[in-house]
Parts: sequence; structure tokens; C-alpha cells
Amino acid sequence: MEDKSKTIDRREFLKDLGMIGAASLFAATPWLSAFSEVEHTQKEKIKLAIIGPGSRGKFHMMFLSKNPKVEITWLCDIYQPSIDSALQYAPNAKTCSDYRKVLEDKTVDAILIATPLDTHCEIACAAMDAGKDVFCEKSIGYNMEECYKIYMKHKETGKIFFSGQQRLFDPRYIKTMEMIHSGLIGKINAVHAFWNRNGDWRRPCPDPSLERQINWRLYKEHSKGLMTELACHQLQVGTWALQRFPEKVMGHGAITYWKDGREVYDNINLIYVFEDGVKMTYGSVISNKFYGLEEQILGDLGTFEPEKGKYYFETVDPAPAFLQMINEWENKAFSTIPFAGTSWAPETANVNKGEYILGERPKGDGTSELLAAFVEAVITQKQPPRIAEEGYYASMLTMLGHEALVQEKTMYFPEEYKLDYLNHKAPKKEETPEETV
Amino acid sequence: MKDFIVTARRQKTEICSLIVCFIIAFLLNVYAIIAYDGKWTELYSTIFYLLIFTVALYVAWTVIRLIIFGIIALYKHFK
Repeated sequence: MEDKSKTIDRREFLKDLGMIGAASLFAATPWLSAFSEVEHTQKEKIKLAIIGPGSRGKFHMMFLSKNPKVEITWLCDIYQPSIDSALQYAPNAKTCSDYRKVLEDKTVDAILIATPLDTHCEIACAAMDAGKDVFCEKSIGYNMEECYKIYMKHKETGKIFFSGQQRLFDPRYIKTMEMIHSGLIGKINAVHAFWNRNGDWRRPCPDPSLERQINWRLYKEHSKGLMTELACHQLQVGTWALQRFPEKVMGHGAITYWKDGREVYDNINLIYVFEDGVKMTYGSVISNKFYGLEEQILGDLGTFEPEKGKYYFETVDPAPAFLQMINEWENKAFSTIPFAGTSWAPETANVNKGEYILGERPKGDGTSELLAAFVEAVITQKQPPRIAEEGYYASMLTMLGHEALVQEKTMYFPEEYKLDYLNHKAPKKEETPEETV
Repeated sequence: MKDFIVTARRQKTEICSLIVCFIIAFLLNVYAIIAYDGKWTELYSTIFYLLIFTVALYVAWTVIRLIIFGIIALYKHFK
């Protein structure tokens, strides 16, 4: 049996989405055009370098090593055990600890960056300057300035740029957005996104001197914690559903449980507010996992929960009349007669099993499709529309939220970092006297 | 072991009882559709529930008959 991760069959992909044709699909999710030439690129092979083959890097390699259009030629990491472990997926790859050595290799077509957040910008920009196409894990930059710099470098060099927003390629999310944008759940007034875990978020550290290197997600100099590692995915889902960006954000973050020397928050809550008052909330705690993760997209006619792969209508069809009658007889026969009933009953959540978005339980998360799309884009040298912008804005909203948490102030999206995308307009550059001549 | 003999008359009576139970269930369904503003498609879409209800009615009717026959038998025994 052929491994599905090896190749992306366009017809199968569309079948997963339950689409009859590709036209409507590509109009709503134009980045899927990356697969439009998939049948003509069968004999092509790109040379790819992995910068940072740690846990996430290896996860990507698991898919990439099965893709016949990819040859992983370099593994670069400053932590040797990561390289040793990653060699199982690419035993013939050359290894090094300095990414500049990889960039000097003219045969390398593209690089995948899965290093700590604070190193993304330097590596991504240097790679694009060296003529390499770039796949960069989210968040793309350590701050708004870096995100903008990376995006502008992509525009300036024309190199392919993808970020690790795999939900953009997850059939469950694509179908969700198609259904939402067709008006199935009416007007969306709120998005509630959350990601809860119960764990210290630490990786085993063989030597205390390596603590900040291995557990980089817990330290300010390397990461923005829950915002950059988790929220980045889910904020993008919210703006994808609403097809616009919020104008401001407020919130609060604290370390309330894991007081183990970490510097990033373990408990955060934010409210992103759109121009018309619609809100997207985001919450994350890592001391309780009961509700797990979800993006609840709330319309006046229904609700989507894409992580569960389900949607629910506000009004559900009543039970058959015959059952209603039997139920009423039962109630009359067995229920107690209240002397004084409550005047208020708690409006607890609906018991509504909903429907599966794709007609079955979710499988996969879009990572294999995302990576396959990147490979196709590198081969065809065609940047799929909107993919870089979606990655840029996901990271920017993450950074904006982080600033709101740190400064404990309402933060507005800075004009200077806006692009001509969806409801945003890039500021017009002031014309210098030389330019007007 | 002694064989039970179900007479043709008994079979006919039981089949008639079952049919009567089904007709009662069906008529109740018609009443429920009118009273609860249901869809007429429920006449056949809820057939599974009707069959269960028919069996329940038949069992209830059988229990009632057994009680009645039991009382009559006891009465005759002590008379």
C-alpha cells in the first residue's frame, strides 16, 4: 500500500475535502495552487537542508524523508545529539553546526528552519540573500520588526517563503472555512480559542549548563512562550474565519503555577477586538488539560469546533413526534410535582452531538500537505498566493498580543507594519524629493 | 419432556393480538404527528420505534391476560 505522506494526489486531496471541482477551492484557499503542477514535477528532486533538526525538525523530516521529490543533504545544529538522532531520516546528509556553511553550498535549493525563535530572522534573511528558498517554523520572527524584515526580504528577493502554519493545508480546516464563508453558521460574532495542557513544558536536560539551550521555549531571550509556540496557530484560524484582522488587543499574563525559574507566562488570556466590536479571545494554561485545545467559531446560526472536526447548528431537529409523546407520558407518570420551581435555570451548554466536518473523525493535521506544498513551490519556483501573508500576520498578531501582556496595555496594530492584505492597507511611503523629480 | 401444543386457534388469536397492537401503535403515531406537529415522513421513518412499542404492548397485553386467567383459575379452584 502506498504511504499517503509520500505523494500528494490532487484528486485524493479534493476528495478529502468533499469538493466537486477545484475552482471554488482555489478561489477560497489560493495557496493550494501549489499542487496545481504536481503531476508534472514527478521527476524533479530538490536538495534541502534542515537547520535545527530537534523535535520539530525531526517531525518534519519524518514526512520529508518519505517524499521522493526531496533529498535532505544537510543537517545543521549546535546540539550534536539532535543531529545524531536526525541522521536516521537522512543517513547520507552532511552535518555541521554553523548554518553559514550550508548557505555556502550552491547545490542547496531550500532550507527548513526549526531553530529557537530568536534565531529565525538572521537565518531566514541570510538564506534568502544566498538564494535559498525558506520554510520557517512559526512564529517567523522574535518581534514585529523581525517579522516584517523577513516578509520584506521574501518580497525583495522573490524567494519562496513558507511558515509552519499547517492548518492552512489541513482538509478539515479548509472545509471548515469553505462552510463558514458560504454563510452556513451565519454572522460570526466571536471566536474563542484556547490551548490547555497539564505539564511543565520541559524537555529532559542532560547537563544544567544546557538548560537554556534545550528548554529555550521557557526563556525570554529565546521565546515568547505560549504566544509564539501555541497561540500563533490558533489566531490564524480566527482571522482566516473572519477574513480580516483585529485592530487592537488587551490581555494579561502571569506565572501562576510553574514557578520553576522559567521566564515566560504559564497562564495567559487575551481579547483581540475587531473594528466592529467582534472579539476573538485567546487563553492558555498549562496546569489543566481538561478542555484541551479548540477554536470555537461562533455564528448566530451555528458553531464550528475544527480541532474536534465538528460543527453544530443552534437549532436542532426535534425528536420524532412519537418519541416526544412517549417522553411526555413518562414525565407525567414518573416525574415529581414541583411545589415551587426555580425561576432561573442555568444555561449550560447544549447537548448537541453535532456533525463531523469531513463526515468522519479528523486524521492528520496538514503538516504533510504543507511540506509537500513547499516542495512543489520550490520545484516550480512559484510562490503560492497568500501563504507568506498568512504566516506573517499570524506571527504579527502573536507579537502584538505578547506586547499587550507585557505592557499591560491595549495595543493597536502598528500602521507601519500593515500590508495590502484583507482589511489592511499598507501605509503609503513618503516620497522623497529625489523620487518626485 | 412433554411437548407443548399450540393450537391453530391459539396461533390465530396471538397473531390477531399482535396485529391489533401494531394498529394501536400506528394510530398513536398518527395522533402524535398531528399533536406534536411532526413530519408525515415519520409514519415510516419511525417504524423501528413502532415495532418496539408493538412488542411492548403485546407483552403488556399478555401479562394482563395471564393475570386474568390466573384469577379465573384460582376462583374455579376454590369454588
